[in-house]
Amino acid sequence: MKREPKRWQSQNRAQVYTELEHPADLFLEIRGSDLPALFENALFALYDQLADLEGFSDSRHETIQVKAPGQAEALRALLAEALYLFAAGGFVATGATVSLRENTDGEVEVQADLWGETIDRSRHTLLTEIKAVTYHRLVVEKLPSGEWRATVLFDV
Amino acid sequence: MTVPQLVQVNEWVWELPPTGGMRVPGRVYADKELMEALREDQSLTQVANVAHLPGILRYSMAMPDIHFGYGFPIGGVAAFKVDEGVVSPGGVGYDINCGCRLLATDLEEVEVRDKIKTLIDQIFRDVPSGVGASGAIAKLSRKELEQVLVKGAQWAVERGYGSADDLERTEDGGALPGADPAAVSDRAYTRGQDQVGTLGSGNHFLEIQVVDKVFDPEAAAVYGLHEGQIAIMVHCGSRGFGYQVCEDYLEVMGSAVNRYHISLPDRQLACAPITSSEGKRYLAAMACAANYAWANRQMIMHLTEQAILHALRISPQTLNLRLVYDVAHNIAKLETHETENGPVQACVHRKGATRAFGPGRPEVPAPYREIGQPVLIPGDMGTASFVCRGTQKAMSETFGSTCHGAGRVMSRAQALKHAKGRAIDRELEAAGILVRSQGRKTLAEEMPEAYKDVDRVVAVMDGAGISPRVARLRPLGVVKG
Repeated sequence: MKREPKRWQSQNRAQVYTELEHPADLFLEIRGSDLPALFENALFALYDQLADLEGFSDSRHETIQVKAPGQAEALRALLAEALYLFAAGGFVATGATVSLRENTDGEVEVQADLWGETIDRSRHTLLTEIKAVTYHRLVVEKLPSGEWRATVLFDV
Repeated sequence: MTVPQLVQVNEWVWELPPTGGMRVPGRVYADKELMEALREDQSLTQVANVAHLPGILRYSMAMPDIHFGYGFPIGGVAAFKVDEGVVSPGGVGYDINCGCRLLATDLEEVEVRDKIKTLIDQIFRDVPSGVGASGAIAKLSRKELEQVLVKGAQWAVERGYGSADDLERTEDGGALPGADPAAVSDRAYTRGQDQVGTLGSGNHFLEIQVVDKVFDPEAAAVYGLHEGQIAIMVHCGSRGFGYQVCEDYLEVMGSAVNRYHISLPDRQLACAPITSSEGKRYLAAMACAANYAWANRQMIMHLTEQAILHALRISPQTLNLRLVYDVAHNIAKLETHETENGPVQACVHRKGATRAFGPGRPEVPAPYREIGQPVLIPGDMGTASFVCRGTQKAMSETFGSTCHGAGRVMSRAQALKHAKGRAIDRELEAAGILVRSQGRKTLAEEMPEAYKDVDRVVAVMDGAGISPRVARLRPLGVVKG
């Protein structure tokens, strides 16, 4: 069933992701009620670090499709594509829905629909220059509580 | 993994004896206090991890500004035999040829002390900075960008943005050989077309500095520096172009590791044999990004000169802006080094480390060849930066390498907490340093306390005889992204 897109609320960021200690880079822990929610929250965390989302509308739609040999790799690939959309396309998302398919060989296919707006430097505030989504300490796991957790290190 | 055990070699050097799959020992340059702070730090494990890589020569080394990175530690140096060793994009980092450029002027502090605000405001207006900064010059066509990738700083000089002297005083003449534009992805081209001449964000900066203290008058005279003189320091790299090259080749290397049966303790160390098609292509693409960075810093030098001339209403002759030197901090280069077994061709990875070639090396520009190359070491924006010089000891101990900065001691999150309720810009202004920044968050993350004591870090490499201090420069005005 297709998930309904919801606009991310920056004041809710503490329920979605937290910053972990790392001396040089941006190390985030992200949580979600299920795997698609985890991936959606990771997109929220990325864009929330890149820009002040309050000033952006949802007038532009973008899709991302990635395939990777595992959940963690798929999450990294999704975030790397989203970062490229920001860097090369000037796109900041304010909400997204994610659907996933896990194949029998472990390959994970991800489709993300993102809504947002093209950056207008006269109106929008950009916050952090993220260089890349690294493989370092990259984790996606299901917790005993049934909740999902990921850690991602961004080079800043 | 447990924290490796250290053995003190001398006052400045500590060794990690080989354990497990380490092919060589690790060596860390630090004094006792810096080492105490490092003992529980995971960056030492990263020094040990690098020692696992095939073809590594002598030691996996770390400079005193070492801190935890991904794969290689920041402040890491490792050389690999060309015929047996590997090249790793993670040993260079995403910001390929992030580096430092020092410009000298004929202005004295007493002449500009009350004009710093005018100066820094003009530079802040004219040199694009901040997240995703672009538009310093018109968007480059693919053909034009290919020229940037091959010619580096020379591309800018040919268009009137500098002189042949600038090229002589740039590491590698401002262009690494072997750059192949065909080894670069369309995505990198897209990201690179409008960022030449931009500073960016994070720890990148442009500072108006005054030469605060000269330690070595003879070397300072050769480098054209004296106490009270105004200088400009620029710290930035290859922008989105370089990030994309690294991203593209980490994926290539991820597959290469399996193809060449290389066992890694950390996947961010992904690598390929230097002589493999993957290794050669990475080096060709990395050279493109390195050259992009040199063109970028050359353009920033030109924009800065124009900004100063406009702000102070003086002639180019009165300003006499000239390049002291330009060094790379994040790079892998093919170099010849003397070892116990004679000269060896090595691929030297410097990730957050500076080349520090000593007297006589042909790579050192002719005006500096008798005393060794200038080594530029930026500190935090509230303290100081240093000019040091390369030595013969660096050639024999560290493959001609030294530290690259103060090194972070506080995470960005910690820094933000420490900055809460404070106005970092006003604190710096009270200390005589005017700051202009695109965002308050970057300013807080980059606050002086977030870094190690740069005087201490530089003193280690001075004490060890690797890169003795020539001059200390104090910031008067800072542009942050």
